[in-house]
Amino acid sequence: MSSSSSSPVARLTRATKSYAGKQVLNGVNLALEPGVVTALLGPNGAGKSTLAGVLTGRLEPSSGEVALFDRDPRDPEARARMGVMLQAAGLPDGLTVSEAINLQAGYFKRRLKTTDILEQAGLTALAKRPCARLSGGEQRRVQFACAIAGCPDFLVLDEPTTGFDADARHALWSNVRAKAAEGAAVLLATHYMEEADALADRIIVIADGRIVADDTPAAIKAKVAGSTIRLRTAQTALLLARLPAVAKVEKKGADTSLVTTNARATLTALFQMDPTLTHFDVMAASLEDALADIITNFDKEAL
Amino acid sequence: MSSLVAAARGVYLREAGAEILKSWRLPQFAIPTIVLPPAFYALFAFGMGRGDPDVATQMVATFGVYAVMGPALFGFGANVAAERESGQLELKRLSPMPAGAHVTAKLIATMMFSAVAIALIYALALAAGVRLGMAQWLTLAAVQIIAVIPFALIGLGFGYRMAQKGAIAVVNILFLGMAVMGGLWMPIAALPEVIQTIAWGLPSYHLGEIALMAVGRSSSANLWLHAGPLALITLASAIFALTGQKRHAA
Repeated sequence: MSSSSSSPVARLTRATKSYAGKQVLNGVNLALEPGVVTALLGPNGAGKSTLAGVLTGRLEPSSGEVALFDRDPRDPEARARMGVMLQAAGLPDGLTVSEAINLQAGYFKRRLKTTDILEQAGLTALAKRPCARLSGGEQRRVQFACAIAGCPDFLVLDEPTTGFDADARHALWSNVRAKAAEGAAVLLATHYMEEADALADRIIVIADGRIVADDTPAAIKAKVAGSTIRLRTAQTALLLARLPAVAKVEKKGADTSLVTTNARATLTALFQMDPTLTHFDVMAASLEDALADIITNFDKEAL
Repeated sequence: MSSLVAAARGVYLREAGAEILKSWRLPQFAIPTIVLPPAFYALFAFGMGRGDPDVATQMVATFGVYAVMGPALFGFGANVAAERESGQLELKRLSPMPAGAHVTAKLIATMMFSAVAIALIYALALAAGVRLGMAQWLTLAAVQIIAVIPFALIGLGFGYRMAQKGAIAVVNILFLGMAVMGGLWMPIAALPEVIQTIAWGLPSYHLGEIALMAVGRSSSANLWLHAGPLALITLASAIFALTGQKRHAA
């Protein structure tokens, strides 16, 4: 791709943003590199949209600096290398899918052919359908198509798979991976942990306008001690809770899950207690657990 | 690195093409704006005017202005409000599209729709026995097409500020109010004195009078009497539209 390896695609330096006296971004430093998918996670109101808005030049920071390809993000040359999928955006009702995509692609000198965009977004069969007659998921696909139309070096996706079925979701994920493999920096704001886990090379957790964690998904998950053992057993919850290192027991009929701080110790004792035990799974803490943990700890520190 | 922004001329052309397609395919926009004004002209010229060529000549001037008000006010007021609310304007703003392309494209589309409505009115006028010189027809057409601009700016100002439903309501009131109080349906002399005073602040009144001059039916021969106030109103409307745009962009 055209971006040089040394300079980041997008950079925030001590960026703040406040609305009506309320500080929404609190001095954020951030650099996004080419070829990396970065997921932006955090509770509602944490500043995710504001952060994405400042990075894309939609919002002006109250203080600090923002650069997109070493330019002002409002510079048309910077925008010509960016593709954006907003969280909520309508489509031109009077145009067909291929007309809407072609109009958007026409803003870029370096663009994909409309037929290729339609194919990549899984819209070939819907090309002639008026945008007014699309389902919610189909509309999202058209918006994704518009975001990739200009071969972006910086792809910003805000909740891209809302309203998708599993097939459509996986198709979009593989498409996003392909864009990153071609060298695009991808910024993904999402509520689906599964999506962040499947796509992201890097996860940024934002809370209260600050970056509270910034690492690989594996490293983020490793920050939460413990794992979950799922098993089928007739043993009572009371007995299971007495096993070594068990922190929590959940039982739904014969399906049981144990949260443990030491899976090995728990399992060894478990085999002695129930020699018939054959089916069990040990899972590392989920990204969702890790995220909840990080934000809870941050809130405690803030108090 | 060479520019990655597409050539402006192509973008303007495609944007205008898209605006024309969008309007044409939207029956709730195309039918009232193209069909209704000529229908009203026929009703007034043939019905109330009983086919008197004198009345029909007077009305071809004022109804032509009335005909451009609809597409300009609705196309810029209601439609821009809808596009803003749905995030379409936001997405265009984040693209490398030249800043003026969208509004310019809308203006071209509106002028085309207005031209069709005006052409239908002129055809009816010929049938009613209106006889004008070629220069008069062309001047009249030019005045009426340019009349799109102040109404478009007023519509834009509301479109940037109001939700779609509110914008439709406001634009409807403005559309009928400016038509009647501007003397486009019946001569202003037939209206109460207070309305004659209000009319001086309305672009519809001055445009109607300038159109009447073009066909030689104005009571006044002084163009600047109306072009002056019209220029001021247009300037104020432009400020109204631009401040609305800034508000939206903030």
